[in-house]
Amino acid sequence: MAKPTIGVFGLTGCAGDQLVLLNCEDELLELAQLVDIRDFLMANSANDTECRLDLALVDGAVLSRRDEEDLKKIRERSNLLVALGTCAVWGGVAAMDRYDDRSRRLAEVYGEAGAKYDSLPARALHEVVKVDLSIPGCPIDKQQLLAAVASLLNGDLPVLPQYPVCTECRWRENNCLLIEKGLFCCGPVTAAGCGALCPSLNIPCVGCRGPAADANLESALAMYREKGYTPEEIAARLRTFAPQAVGGEA
Amino acid sequence: MKKTIRVNHLARVEGHGGVTVELDGRSIGAVRFDIFEGARLLESLARGRSYLDVSQIVSRICAICSVAHSLTSIKATEKAFGVKPTPQTELLRDLLFRGEDIESHALHVFCLAVPDYLNYPSVLALAADMPEAARLGLRLKKLGNTIQEVIGGRAVHPVNCVVGGFGKLPSNEQLVALRDELKWAAEASEKVVELVASLPPAEFGSKDTVFAALIPGGDFGYGYYAGDQIGVMINGKLEKVPAEQYRSVANERPVPHSHAKHSSYQGRPFMVGALARLTINGGLLNGTVAGVKEKFGLKLPSGNPMDNNKAQALELVYDIRRSLEVVEQILAEGLRDEAPVPVKPKAGSGTGVTEAPRGMLVHSYSYDDQGRLLTADVITPTAFNAASVEDHLRCAVEANSADSDEVLTRKLEMIVRAYDPCISCSVHLVRKRNAP
Repeated sequence: MAKPTIGVFGLTGCAGDQLVLLNCEDELLELAQLVDIRDFLMANSANDTECRLDLALVDGAVLSRRDEEDLKKIRERSNLLVALGTCAVWGGVAAMDRYDDRSRRLAEVYGEAGAKYDSLPARALHEVVKVDLSIPGCPIDKQQLLAAVASLLNGDLPVLPQYPVCTECRWRENNCLLIEKGLFCCGPVTAAGCGALCPSLNIPCVGCRGPAADANLESALAMYREKGYTPEEIAARLRTFAPQAVGGEA
Repeated sequence: MKKTIRVNHLARVEGHGGVTVELDGRSIGAVRFDIFEGARLLESLARGRSYLDVSQIVSRICAICSVAHSLTSIKATEKAFGVKPTPQTELLRDLLFRGEDIESHALHVFCLAVPDYLNYPSVLALAADMPEAARLGLRLKKLGNTIQEVIGGRAVHPVNCVVGGFGKLPSNEQLVALRDELKWAAEASEKVVELVASLPPAEFGSKDTVFAALIPGGDFGYGYYAGDQIGVMINGKLEKVPAEQYRSVANERPVPHSHAKHSSYQGRPFMVGALARLTINGGLLNGTVAGVKEKFGLKLPSGNPMDNNKAQALELVYDIRRSLEVVEQILAEGLRDEAPVPVKPKAGSGTGVTEAPRGMLVHSYSYDDQGRLLTADVITPTAFNAASVEDHLRCAVEANSADSDEVLTRKLEMIVRAYDPCISCSVHLVRKRNAP
């Protein structure tokens, strides 16, 4: 049987999720034996930019017309398309101004030339094309990536945690930074899968994995208010990585 | 005959960039390093946020330099508030920078540069013929990531660094495991020296080059984190500029073809990165890398940008050996159980200058009395380098005008890659500066 063909792509972002793939130092050479990596501009200068792909891994968000065209082309040539990382899944840090006036911000940063730049408000991939699987994280978790690729290549859709970071934090028996110290921790509403990395280092969760499907948002918002945080602070913190974490208003 | 040589999308660099050269017969028109990475306006998005959130947001400017962005951000914030971290914190930050340098240089030297010299399209292709070299590079890269995990909590976008110190200190077990891997690496680094010394020579055009780098401070020797002075080597003379006056070094101006502004010092483009650091700070290297420069045939100062690859390899070897010394010292003395020093926000401004793997990095902030960010100015190494890249490309086009388009294109790509550009980094800095 022919090896599955794979493409790895980056739209606008920090390339961190492609870097996580390159950070699989122990598995990379073996992985390259099992699959046929045809198009990976960040790591390879001999790419086939037209061939059919069994699997496309795409990091970054859509922030320009160029990104949008590239993404549509990737979708057309791929059987499966995976959104890699919080920018691809939710829009990421660049999307935190989605409810803001972008033309004003562009003018602020670029001056009058701002209007001419190929620059759009950040969108997640699924807002532009069909996405078959979303792996959140800023960056994604290495093991989760490898397990997901293995599942996909065996014809299964991987199951990713729907519960919040708090669940994993409890498993690690950490003291609660929010309840006990009143620190603004996004753990109650953020998708797990990181092993509660930050709270385990005494650092409050910043929500880098985006919203958890099974979170109790109402109760979390009540807790933040009870701890004295203003609606503006709550909205700003929860929307740092995913504007959809709390809707248009806190 | 008019023609244009174009690399539409550079491979094996981080981010989205290209090269354009316009030729008219024998005369050379425009030579451009095009940067068309989308703009994320991160500095603008960080404005108004609490100092507690800033380093995490700006870290996302770039993954490969995320330690440098986090800690340069924290350094700027600490200066603004007058916070003085403990010597232990400074030592661990110095080590964390070395971890990032090891990871980034191993990635660049083995996955991007060595394949170039030996005509392979990628490290995976290289691995088919030279599996040992590929495995060595990947294991060293992993070691750099391990240092970042042990000290910074995560290999990409570190989470353990806060204003005033660290969330949690590394455990003894982690440090012992790290020391053992560093011992292996210190021996294996001989093979790095052999490999890099054996690469075919590469020179596509050299010119008298101006260099700029942070002058290391503290007692850390040749390092990337501590220090508050910028050194500029121009016409064989070293000029020193205080960190807060970084704008007098940068002198940025916008250019139409690039989403990154161009810098010049006394009207001349300058180069930042490993070659600049070695040129300015090479005297601080300790004896662990004696003889390596000679084995590489590296003569300083060098106006050949390809030598930046050798300079990175030398730093890679040095950082491994220096990190081993530091970890052994920490294990011998033990870590004090220190919480972050208390932080009291106040109105003010601060500038942090460090050396990211690919060169000098500046973060400069001002805060209000509640610790909310008022203004942020970030200048990344690839932005500092953009004008110098074009200078060296032009020089190579002049020196290689008899080449076929294909051969010339390859040489130009190799020059850009030698600079190890980080294009995501360079982009966010298309911005209008707000008057303080």
